[in-house]
Amino acid sequence: MKKIIIQGTIIILLFLASYFVLSQIDLVNVFKVQKVANKTEQKLGELFWKTIKETANENNNLHILESVDKIVNQICKSNNIDRETIKIHVLNKNEINAFALPNGHLIVYSGLLLNSENQDVLIGVISHEIAHIKLNHIMKKLVKEIGLSVLISMTTGSGGPEIIKETAKMLSSSAFDRSLEKQADIKAVDYLISAKVNPEPFANFLYNLSDKEYATPQYLNWISTHPDSRERAEYIIEYSKNKSIDYEPILSHETWEKLKIELNNLQEN
Amino acid sequence: MIQIKQFNYEPSEHEAETASSSYLMSLIAIIVGLPLPIVNLFATLIFYLGNRKATYFVRWHCTQALLSQLSMLFVNSYAFWWTVSIIFKDETITNNYIAYIIVALIFNLVEFITTIYTAIKTRKGIHVEWWFYGTLTNNICKV
Repeated sequence: MKKIIIQGTIIILLFLASYFVLSQIDLVNVFKVQKVANKTEQKLGELFWKTIKETANENNNLHILESVDKIVNQICKSNNIDRETIKIHVLNKNEINAFALPNGHLIVYSGLLLNSENQDVLIGVISHEIAHIKLNHIMKKLVKEIGLSVLISMTTGSGGPEIIKETAKMLSSSAFDRSLEKQADIKAVDYLISAKVNPEPFANFLYNLSDKEYATPQYLNWISTHPDSRERAEYIIEYSKNKSIDYEPILSHETWEKLKIELNNLQEN
Repeated sequence: MIQIKQFNYEPSEHEAETASSSYLMSLIAIIVGLPLPIVNLFATLIFYLGNRKATYFVRWHCTQALLSQLSMLFVNSYAFWWTVSIIFKDETITNNYIAYIIVALIFNLVEFITTIYTAIKTRKGIHVEWWFYGTLTNNICKV
């Protein structure tokens, strides 16, 4: 019996010692893990953005782009986020939707800009999507939904165009896990508070979404991609309760109004 | 690590074949069980249960194969769930993770090679005892 215990202990010690010695080496750098992951994400980002771009025209109105850019700049600046990592695109589409693609591509539909009751709602939605990007939710969702091997085959060009199209559609119109949505909401509230933006209108917006009477066909997309809106509104309010500070608008009243006018003109045309 | 020993008696052709199969069981199951480490254990366990009343030589080797699979189950399960949590949850690839995977792979490889070697030798009726597992089997498996 003593022999068994000694031999067993030696095996366990051998295992642990090898593990300890190897873990002292910077293996992440040796295997260039980050570099490979970044390259895959970059390729996927370009691929999906190209596919999404084909579904609608890219907005090139200077005032609209500058206004959205100003919002993103302020959120990034206040939260020490490298602005270069967020690539914002505004697409002319009546759908009320915003979503993130791999490698920091953030797509905002003009329908969302036009239908946001005030700038705080829009900033809330953009912060929520930036949070998804920064928390690496997009790649996690892709791996979970379609698998790592299919993703890698896409980057090497062997993935069929139909799969790429369907995956891009999935990214724009399906929800993340409930826990990931919550994480992104909480992170978004942090971003908003740092940027001196009131999170309450964003919470109210979510609360209204849960109200069926509010659910006009236009809003259906947002509701389907962001379920349990009432619950989410409640925890956003709860989380931001004791964090009230002096809020400051990112866009001036005139800029916001002009943005709406430009968007209305765009829609009429 | 591996010792060729004289068994109590000379095993028959049929015994050698069955004993050798107990090792092959875990190898064949690798094809199915690669992502799920428990499949290998189940295959060996079923084979072990099926041969509980077999001759001593067969039982002895079934037990050694089962014990080796059982210990690898712990190593591989930890690696499996760690990988799952990296892919689906918030864990990231760290030096610790890569180190663990390398060690787990080395141990699996050693076990794999030893299993093949033992399966070949046992098929010829040669009795092979593994370090630690052989001693443990001698304690568990009685005539």
